[in-house]
Amino acid sequence: MIRYVLRRLLLLPLSLFLLSLVCFGLQQITPGDPVISLMPNDEARLANKDPAAFDLAYSRAAQTLGLDRPTFYFTVYNGALPDTLHRITRAQERAMLRTFTLQSGNWPSVQHYYHELRRVAYRLESDPAVTPIIRRLLIQDNFSNAATTLKGLPDRPETAALREAFDRLQSRDHATALLLPAFSWHGTDNQYHHWAGKLLSGDFGSSLVDRRPVSSKIKAAAGVTVLLNGLALLLVFLISIPLGLYTAGASGSWFDRLTTVGLFILFGVPSFWLATLLTNYFTTPAFNMDFFPSMGLGELPEYASWWTILRIRASHLFLPVVCMAYPSWAYVTRHLRRSALHELNQAYIKTARLKGLSRSAILWRHVLRNASFPIITLLGGIFPALLAGSVLIERIFNLPGMGQLLYTSAIERDWPIVITLVLLNGVLTAIGLLIADLGYRFADPRIRLSSPQNAAT
Amino acid sequence: MKQPNWFRRLALAWLGGLLLVAVFGDFLANDRPLVAQVNGELRFPVLHQYGEDFGWVDGYQPAVRNWYLQQPDWALWPPVPYVAGASDVKNGNYRSPFAQQDTGERARHYLGTDKLGRDVFAGLIAGARVAVIVGIGALLISLLLGIPLGGVAGFFGNDALSGTRDFWWGWSIGGTLGLLYAAISLLAFFQVTGFFATTLLLLFGFFAGGLLLASLLRLLPTMRRPMSFPADTFVLQGIELFVNIPGLVLLIALLAIINRPSIWLVALIIGVLRWPSVARYLRAEMLRIRGLPYIDAARISGIGRWRILFRHALPNALGPIIVVSCFGLGGAILLEAFLSFLGIGIPANQVTWGSLLGQSRSHPSAWWMALFPGMLLTLTVLAANLLGERR
Repeated sequence: MIRYVLRRLLLLPLSLFLLSLVCFGLQQITPGDPVISLMPNDEARLANKDPAAFDLAYSRAAQTLGLDRPTFYFTVYNGALPDTLHRITRAQERAMLRTFTLQSGNWPSVQHYYHELRRVAYRLESDPAVTPIIRRLLIQDNFSNAATTLKGLPDRPETAALREAFDRLQSRDHATALLLPAFSWHGTDNQYHHWAGKLLSGDFGSSLVDRRPVSSKIKAAAGVTVLLNGLALLLVFLISIPLGLYTAGASGSWFDRLTTVGLFILFGVPSFWLATLLTNYFTTPAFNMDFFPSMGLGELPEYASWWTILRIRASHLFLPVVCMAYPSWAYVTRHLRRSALHELNQAYIKTARLKGLSRSAILWRHVLRNASFPIITLLGGIFPALLAGSVLIERIFNLPGMGQLLYTSAIERDWPIVITLVLLNGVLTAIGLLIADLGYRFADPRIRLSSPQNAAT
Repeated sequence: MKQPNWFRRLALAWLGGLLLVAVFGDFLANDRPLVAQVNGELRFPVLHQYGEDFGWVDGYQPAVRNWYLQQPDWALWPPVPYVAGASDVKNGNYRSPFAQQDTGERARHYLGTDKLGRDVFAGLIAGARVAVIVGIGALLISLLLGIPLGGVAGFFGNDALSGTRDFWWGWSIGGTLGLLYAAISLLAFFQVTGFFATTLLLLFGFFAGGLLLASLLRLLPTMRRPMSFPADTFVLQGIELFVNIPGLVLLIALLAIINRPSIWLVALIIGVLRWPSVARYLRAEMLRIRGLPYIDAARISGIGRWRILFRHALPNALGPIIVVSCFGLGGAILLEAFLSFLGIGIPANQVTWGSLLGQSRSHPSAWWMALFPGMLLTLTVLAANLLGERR
């Protein structure tokens, strides 16, 4: 038992490490430049007015963000590339250098070309006919496009030097250098290490949109989600445990058949459809049936009595909680009924009946414990569902919870928040699965937890 | 739960009908006639559009923009003479199915219109196509990943997939290294571009690396000892890692960063996220099957183990797998509707059931936009669940 828990807890960091790699990778391939989005506005505005100053400000900002570090602990790369390419902070320039080097295999001449370009592009006295074009050449990673652009440049002393550098870079005399792979170890001074270290120490960064710290935004949203899910869970257990046990005890009756068919249909009705219908009909004046207040959590008057608070909150939360709860009703009731039916056929029930135990005592004392697997599954799944399930309900009823936060930050590409939520959800999923496995064991000590799959299937 | 047989038949008929609507959607809702006679010439505009899309035929000369203004001699129109996403300015601003509609000679908007006068019925038919593509696509991908992995894990377990050490070590390490070398060096050296050439070169790298290391390792005596490949452990660990990944949340995060959303991508991601359930079920099924006497009989007859797996064991497990994956079909369709309801991952101009539902939120009194797509979705999910119910 303890060994099993330890094994699972050891596997958890591995899962989280992989998840963090996925998140980090996603962050890397996201379109958009993190440096520009974090630069002060007046510096970002320099881009058109004073490119040379902007270039300086950019590389300074990139350095403070740590983007001049290597990405990961090690790199496996083509031997023709230098091992310090990561020091060039602009992603587009890096792409140009990489493409050109991978085509010719001759890094020194590519480097020479790059230096020539930069020398002309960021000179103090700029030449309106040449400089803007050269700046565009810095990010032009297509050979033939670059060649045409160079040919079209007006004749100046520096353009001649550029053309010469470009001609040298095109020759494939050094192409054999491409055949050698290279490996370099960067140690812990890399972007991933710093990012993961910050996460581990509880610093999740700040939102890209309003620059508030991520942890405070999530904390503010978590309360609503926990309240919503807690109430929904309560509703599920209050309704489906008695219903499931009763229908199993009275199996074959018209009530049982009606409930079974009804729950099957209810399980198939998508909750977001029902939620949309409910909001459309009962919270808007469109059909003269606006029994419930629309959207949100409601405004509380100042110094409200607890009764007023309860009334306002309850009227706002009633529909969302019902919409969150009903798919689980159907699920728990159906599975509880099925496993209770299985238990009712066992010999020990006959013994209990012969002993003279009452019907309800048999159902509640003996059957429930043995048939409680679906309840445990639901309890284990509730942690991940905290976030996933409430995305839609919070979105439809406009509640400021974590699901809503995930949705809005994903749409706005607010990466620090999305990634924190994904990682948080990963932790919760793993913990939920562990709790469910331990719960199975608690309900039925015969289950051996040597390998997790035995418990799950 | 025991269903009467005709319930299942009804569910199967519903899904089959949905498939037909998806395949022949262009003939059911289109703003071109099926057959028309123009100036004495017989034309098949809907079929012709297919030809144009494939590049087999040229467009009509002169080009026809609007077949209603064309005034053909006579024309046979599809049942719904509108196309999804095309606006009808005269009938805009949420026209109810029962309200006054200004359609002229054209058929009414049977199920009403949305704000820009886009026909809801045509939207439902287009949505059926998206649902079928995502549902079946995700199902196929999860089966494609789940069947080999789950089958091998369950059938061979940890000790039946035997070979020599040099074989397993050589191919796993050498193949990976070869692949890596091909990717970082050979691709650049030979200036390879294009999908097929790249794949070919990568495959070459894998085979060359594997063969090289395997034959080198064979020189060492310790490497010639027998060793079995722990397939079951590998697959189970993979499943466990996947189970810990928060699927839906990751899906939202993934789809939000993609610049060019497409329904194929949604199907791909949903399928990849769903393979563990298929693999786990098939593994359990295979554990049962491999103990059956007929497998022993086949083994004694000298049939190769891979042939037993593919010809004798897998077909036996395929029926239950397909039944169970019907659940997955319903789930994938539901997930697609969910995503397009939120407006994530599906192109903005693509009409789906979810996007119609989402639109109804901005105009609650348009009951037809909330009711019909939701009903179709519910019936489809119910049908899939009914078929997926274990007997």
